[in-house]
Order: sequence, then structure tokens, then C-alpha cells
Amino acid sequence: MPDFDAEPETPLQQLIRHWMNERHAPDILPWQGEVLDGLLNHINRQSTTVNLLRGDPDSSEDEHFRIVLAQTEIERVKFVVRSYIRTRLYKIEKYARYVARTPQIQERLSQAELQHAQTFAKLTEDHFSVSVLQALPEHQRSLEDASPFTPPMITEPDKSRAVFVHALNDCPAVRLPDGTTLEIKKGYIVLTPYAVVEELLAFGSVELV
Amino acid sequence: MALPVALRDTVSPPELELIASEQLIEIVPLIAMERTAFISGAYGPLRPPAKSKVPIWMAMNLKLKRKCHIVAPEWLNVEFLQERLTQETTRTEFSQLPFRFSEIAKLLLDIASDDIQNPDKIRYLLKDIREARQAKSRDGLQKIDHSELSLPNLCSMEINEIRPFFVKAMGVLTHLTRESTADNAARFENF
Repeated sequence: MPDFDAEPETPLQQLIRHWMNERHAPDILPWQGEVLDGLLNHINRQSTTVNLLRGDPDSSEDEHFRIVLAQTEIERVKFVVRSYIRTRLYKIEKYARYVARTPQIQERLSQAELQHAQTFAKLTEDHFSVSVLQALPEHQRSLEDASPFTPPMITEPDKSRAVFVHALNDCPAVRLPDGTTLEIKKGYIVLTPYAVVEELLAFGSVELV
Repeated sequence: MALPVALRDTVSPPELELIASEQLIEIVPLIAMERTAFISGAYGPLRPPAKSKVPIWMAMNLKLKRKCHIVAPEWLNVEFLQERLTQETTRTEFSQLPFRFSEIAKLLLDIASDDIQNPDKIRYLLKDIREARQAKSRDGLQKIDHSELSLPNLCSMEINEIRPFFVKAMGVLTHLTRESTADNAARFENF
């Protein structure tokens, strides 16, 4: 188990943690622009160095395998970056119409993501309207009906979905759905609904595993 | 380009291996290398036969080219695992193992089994430990309710294995509880 007291997390470890959190959380988490920019810059610098060394005809065999190692690592980091972005993209498209009308969640998206969500939401709505809704009687055309006993027409993240939580620090007590409270100590692993640990996760006291 | 369907609800074992192989491990290099800066940190210098710490992915890369021997982590040996197996079969709680032991053990046994003493015996022990622990996580399912289930010492690969079923089970219980409270509330109003 990584000991977080011993050494501060490297940017890559941070991204891996955020990547896993994003994969497991039902909601869209805040965009980690800073971590990502830092790593992307690092990838660029490393790639430039590798290319320079590769172009050098005098490089020895010793040099050659260092290049291979550096390239392997670049590919590994790129994989994590891509998977992180694709995870968000999946959620953003799934909840596009919810994102388009909820300002609180918009703050958690990057500029490009927000734009994509809005365009995507509009495209879906136009498509529904052109292919079916136009042909229906006026009062059935709405995409926002909130009638009882039917699921809502706008897909929202299901915050009651359970997640596996690993505590990185001792956490203050949280209130459980059954009314009792739970204190998660450092190192504990708990299965609990996402809504219970949402704040702890935003605070960085826990990670999802 | 969004996430593939198979990966939307869970993480795949190869992804867990990728994460686990960021951890450091000791190697005995067979070639020399200057200290080199990588994205995850600087490693080296490698000077045979002095031991050095590098990430597992790098150790595996070197091992496949026969450029190093891997020093097995202290928990990957017959005595340690035998003791854990005894604990596992005599006590009701999960014994303490490194969080990503199963990924790391698999990677090392696949690639560097000649650097590990008694790899076959270790494979058997790991399998027995896994079965004993699986039985316990299934028992844990009896204790599940709609709000919380503590799983001390459960490991990464085991969590991943039980995830789909446990998450679904808790989801169903949440629904049932929500409906019954809604029902009760309705009944009170009619009263």
C-alpha cells in the first residue's frame, strides 16, 4: 500500500488517482487541468529528447535501451491521460442535457468539455425533435416532462450508486443513508453510496478503488 | 471515442496491472546505466552488481531482455505466504497483504519465475489464499445493507472481482429501502 506520509505523490500518481476516481464515481468530478497540463508538457519534453537522441547516429547501444525505456514510459503515461479524458467524455455525453442546464456541474468541466456537452445536448434535442417529436401533438413534445411514476427525461448521475472507498487519511464522521454515522479511519476500505463520501472525495481524504 | 462499453462499469485487470507496475522493486542489473530522468522520477545509476530500485514495468522490460535479475519482494516467498494462508483459514477476518499483491505476484511469476525461489509452490499458495479469501467475501455479502459495508484488508484485484455484484446488490437494497419509506409516509398520510 503506498504510504502517503512518506513521500508526496508525483504528478503521475496524482493523475492515476484522479483517473481511478473518475472511473468509479457516478458523477463528473472536477477537471484536473493543472495536473494534466504539467504531465502533457513533460511528455512533450521527454518525446523531444527521445527524438533528438534517436536522430543522433553516434548513440551507443547503451543509449539505445535508455531510449526504449523512455518511450515505453511515454506510452504508458499517454494511455492513462487518454483513458482519463475518454472516461469524462463518456459521462459528459451521457449527461449532456443535464450538464447543459446545471450551472454547478459546468464549473467542473474544462472549456472544451463544456462546449462539447452543450453542442451534444443541442444535437440530441434537435434530433429527437426532427425524427419524432414534431409529429406528435403539441402537449407531448416537451423533453422536460416531470410526471410521477416515470423516470425523469433528463439523465442525471445516480449518486446513490455504491463505490469502494479507500481512506487516505482519518476522515471526519459522515452520515449514512440509514441515519447512523460512520467514521472512516485511514487505510479502511468501505463500500458505501457515492453521496456519502462525495465531500470526502472532493477534499482528497479518500480515493475510489 | 468515449470509453469502451466493457470498461464503463469497472476497471479491467490489465489496467490494474498497469497501475501496480508503477510501484518500485529491487533489481540486480546486468548492465550499466547512468541516472536517467523519467516522467515518474529519476532512476539509476545502474552499476552491476549493486542493487537498485526501479518501477516494476522497467524491471520487466529489462528482465525480458535478460538485462537484470529481479529481487522478489519480501512477501513473495513460501514462508510468508504459508503463514498468511494459515491465518486465512483459521481466522474469520482477511489477513494483511499488500494492496496490489495479486497483480504484482502475477507479473513477477509470469516474467521472472527464475528469480523467485520455488515458484510452483508459491503459485499453489496464492491460489489457496485466493480461494480462502473469496469464500470470505461471499460471506460478507450476507452483511450488506443499503448504507455501508466495511471490508478491511480487501485487495485491489478482489475488490474488482466482487464490484459488479456488490454494487448492484447495494443498489437494489437502496431502492427497496427508499420505496418502503415512501410507502410508510404515504400510509401515514392516509391515516
